Amino acid sequence: MFLVWLLAVPLAGAIVTLIAPNAAAKGIAAITSILGLIGYAGLLFIDRAGVNWSWIPAWGVRFHLVGDGLSLFLLGLAAVMFAAAIFASDQGAGRSYYFWMLLLEFSVVGLFSAVDLFVFYVFWEVLLIPVFFLLTGWSGEKGKKAAMKWLVMNLVGSFFMLVGIVALAVIHHQDGGAFTFEINKLSGMVLGPAVGSWLFFAFLVAFAIKAPLWPLHGWMPDAYGESPAPVTAVISGVLSKAGIYGMLRVMIPIFMPQFREYQMPLLIVAAIGLIYGAASALRQRDMKMVTAYGSLSHMSMMALGVFSLTAVGLLGTTFYMVAHGLMIGALFLVLGMLENRTGRRSLDDMAGLNHSAPRLAAYFLFFVLGALGLPGLPGFAGEYMIIQGLVTSHVVFAVIAGFVLVVAAWYMLRVFQAVMQGPAPTTGIKDLVAGQVAWLVPLAGLVILIGVWPAGITSHAVPSLYQAMHFAAAKGGVR
Amino acid sequence: MQGLLEILVLPLIGAATITAFKGLMPKRLAGIWASFLVGVSFILSIVADVRLSHLSASHRVVTGAIWNWVTGFGPSIHFQLYLDPLAGVWLLIITGVGALIHVYSIGYMHGDDGEPRYFAYLNFFVFSMLLLVLAGNLAVLLIGWALVGLASYFLIGFWYQRPTAVAAAKKAFVMNTLGDVGILLGLALLYLHYHSVGYQHLFAIFSHATPGSAFFEWTAFLLYLGAMAKSAQFPLHMWLADAMEGPTPVSALIHAATMVTAGVYLMTRLYPLLRIAPVTHELVAAIAAFTCIFAASVAFYQQDIKKVLAYSTLSQLGYMLLAVGVGAYTAGVFHFMMHAFFKAALFLAAGSVIHALNGEQDLSKMGGLWRKMPWTMAAFLAATLAISGIPPFSGYFSKEAILGQTYNSGHYILWGIGVFTAGMTSFYMFRLFFLTFFGKPRDEKLYEHAHEAPWVMTVPVVALGVLSVVGGAIGGWLNGWLAPVFHQYAGASHAALESGPIFGTVIAVGLAVVAFGVAYWLYVVRQTAPRAGIASIPGIWMYKAWGMDSAWMAVVVNPLKQLGVGVLAVERGILAGVMGIADGVQAWASDLAPIETGYVRRYALSIMVGVVALLAYYLIRIGFIS
Repeated sequence: MFLVWLLAVPLAGAIVTLIAPNAAAKGIAAITSILGLIGYAGLLFIDRAGVNWSWIPAWGVRFHLVGDGLSLFLLGLAAVMFAAAIFASDQGAGRSYYFWMLLLEFSVVGLFSAVDLFVFYVFWEVLLIPVFFLLTGWSGEKGKKAAMKWLVMNLVGSFFMLVGIVALAVIHHQDGGAFTFEINKLSGMVLGPAVGSWLFFAFLVAFAIKAPLWPLHGWMPDAYGESPAPVTAVISGVLSKAGIYGMLRVMIPIFMPQFREYQMPLLIVAAIGLIYGAASALRQRDMKMVTAYGSLSHMSMMALGVFSLTAVGLLGTTFYMVAHGLMIGALFLVLGMLENRTGRRSLDDMAGLNHSAPRLAAYFLFFVLGALGLPGLPGFAGEYMIIQGLVTSHVVFAVIAGFVLVVAAWYMLRVFQAVMQGPAPTTGIKDLVAGQVAWLVPLAGLVILIGVWPAGITSHAVPSLYQAMHFAAAKGGVR
Repeated sequence: MQGLLEILVLPLIGAATITAFKGLMPKRLAGIWASFLVGVSFILSIVADVRLSHLSASHRVVTGAIWNWVTGFGPSIHFQLYLDPLAGVWLLIITGVGALIHVYSIGYMHGDDGEPRYFAYLNFFVFSMLLLVLAGNLAVLLIGWALVGLASYFLIGFWYQRPTAVAAAKKAFVMNTLGDVGILLGLALLYLHYHSVGYQHLFAIFSHATPGSAFFEWTAFLLYLGAMAKSAQFPLHMWLADAMEGPTPVSALIHAATMVTAGVYLMTRLYPLLRIAPVTHELVAAIAAFTCIFAASVAFYQQDIKKVLAYSTLSQLGYMLLAVGVGAYTAGVFHFMMHAFFKAALFLAAGSVIHALNGEQDLSKMGGLWRKMPWTMAAFLAATLAISGIPPFSGYFSKEAILGQTYNSGHYILWGIGVFTAGMTSFYMFRLFFLTFFGKPRDEKLYEHAHEAPWVMTVPVVALGVLSVVGGAIGGWLNGWLAPVFHQYAGASHAALESGPIFGTVIAVGLAVVAFGVAYWLYVVRQTAPRAGIASIPGIWMYKAWGMDSAWMAVVVNPLKQLGVGVLAVERGILAGVMGIADGVQAWASDLAPIETGYVRRYALSIMVGVVALLAYYLIRIGFIS
């Protein structure tokens, strides 16, 4: 029942926050997120059972949540990242800010554990609303525009997905099966070529917008640029994984023939996104934008892992989602601290801050190294497995991915060095305070643990991937 | 585990404890603690090697699998340690020379603000390098490989307020990442075919493979790319010259004695693969010979004491990989050891000079220093004689073995290049020696204040100087020590030391002696200034390292930046398109919204949700449910 705990606690916390005084809001949110972490520990170490309740019998909708190997570590990522983001949030942000944050955590937990497409869709839609309000209420000047772009693009995507979901259920029913939205039951279907392709792209567009993947990333720059650091951290660290997770959870079991058919164009588009993000990051002058476009490039790396259609590539993506989420989220939080202290974001306006803030610089560098894929830290293990998958399917994309890693080293170090190194300015900044070290240390420790022991995650993810690929294998399969 | 884990972990403990407690401990303690731990690692390394020698020659390997690194379908890679005599040699040099350089650094870094940070980095480097050579498979090797690059990045950019140091650190890191990617792709290819990246598994397969398939060539080339970057082979060499921005003991340890020889280690380790990839094997030799003479030519006109040594390191790395390329593996390892002694001695002595001159590195400010620093001068002289290949100093034996075997294997052109470079080496090294220690002091003020370094620095320098003199004596022992490694798998039939033709030795030594004479005549007798000839056409090209930096900028860096500019233009187009849609929707939504409330966005939201719900409803009603 720890899964229910994990889902219910943020919702309950959100409601309590709403009626609590403003001053207590952060405290309540922090306690809620710690309770969430405890619930997650229970899920991980004690009981991973999910729930499977009937919800709308007429449509065969079941409230079916699981904590299997695909979900388990994304749920952990969500619990950790939301806790870190809430700790890093502004004391004076007010109760509605924390309300929306906790509601967002609730919807993400639901999304990452639902295996009924209807429930999946409900959480998918609910998730849009907190982000919309966080972007409008607590962001920079262009926050409202950013929120509008987020909403419009994602609604377009989810509209396609809704059509796809309904069509899948109906086709399954027409083929003589029960009316159901259960992914496991829908996975056995054989779709006609035309219908299959249409539905495939309906889901693909929805997931690609959420990730985002090039060229459907139009909402990303403003949303990342305008939102406060903790919100950026949860969008880039956790929400972006929803798109890739959807591909693994929903599309791989159902649409393998379509993946096979369109594999080459998909790989090409993902490779373009990979290069595009990296090349943009190389030229951006705003530290948050460099990281944002770097993240766009990393999302394409995950997509390449999926599109490799190899077991090891899928496993690499599953792992890389968690690794990337932790590191990019933490990196945005660190950038937020820098912005708070300096009031600046342009690389041209900063230099030599290492001198006055060596500890902040050390954590900054640590997460920069993680993001650029330093062997020994978790990003590398994920990238290795994805590249192994690409070597297995189409080696040329492995070469492209490899050389983008070199560019990644370049643009990530560029940010760090421009901000932290060089001649020290006359006025320094304040180094980390104890409260910040308190959550950065466990976060960094977790990153190191996953980096030196990726097997802790990969060995658990494998059985669920087997299940996903079991259906795929029946349809021409994963290598 | 035979103590392997302890050897590895001690320096890591040092790095961690110094980082954690540097605020609490006295500054001096950091250096002593770091040196102590590396010293213990050295003793444990000797113990491990002695134990290793008690194993039967047919299987002289100690392994230990510690934990699963990755499992799942496809890769199941263990975090595995592996000690054989080859790794054992590197182990001794890393911890032994490493300990000496740690001790030296106690004196050299005294009074620097970042003293504890320096020792934490240095210990971290030793840990990473040990991980690299103790790795039992290519994946763990790659982790060590990248971590030494990180340590190098830390230490090149140690004085992070200097823009040049920061730029040099980034260049080194990015160029080495290129090499890392080569190894990553190489190991992925090997995994694909053999489902393992462990040395023993792979080499057993290679021993029975037929040479020459494109797969083996590509794999070997990709792994060689890693070696090229780390060992600064042309055209991936520029970072090493810039790396001299780091403190001088770092140049001695990382950028001369140990890290840059990782490429030699990897290629020697991979000899069974080189056997079945003959084209790549030849390429290794050809690029090595070219690097050798290329770097030597650049050293001719350098004005900075450390730059000369940096290019001489490049050139000597060329010799080592030439040995690998012609299959003279023992000779390559031999030269690696000798080079570790004499080049560390040279760098540390140069560090003492720089220290004595208050940080001055320009040769035009030196001269006549032998009176002030006799011990340093003696060590520098011994090491210079060694690197120049003058018998009976250490470098003579290893270089002769390399050149002799290059000749024996029929690589006559490469042999010619090697012999000629031996003469060039002697010239530029004696130029450096004379300009530093002989002639009239060119800067009286600096000269007046110069002094011999404190004993904590002089003792390691002299120790390394003595090793540069007598080190060559271990050649016979090394031959026997490494024999089990090269007997284990096919592909190293000429690995043992061989002597070349007598006339080759006569030419090489003769050239070196003549070059010494020319340098003596130019810089002692005629007192030629360091900058003489630099304005001539060859002088400019050689001084500017043949324009390779500009070539890289023009061919690689600027096009990439241009790509970024182009992409940003496209990006603006995409964003403008999205903006147009968003504006359109917003305008449409606000038309529908009652003007008096003004909460446009709330209405927009509810309308969106409503539209989706309606569409869904009609789809269900009309489209699908019959």
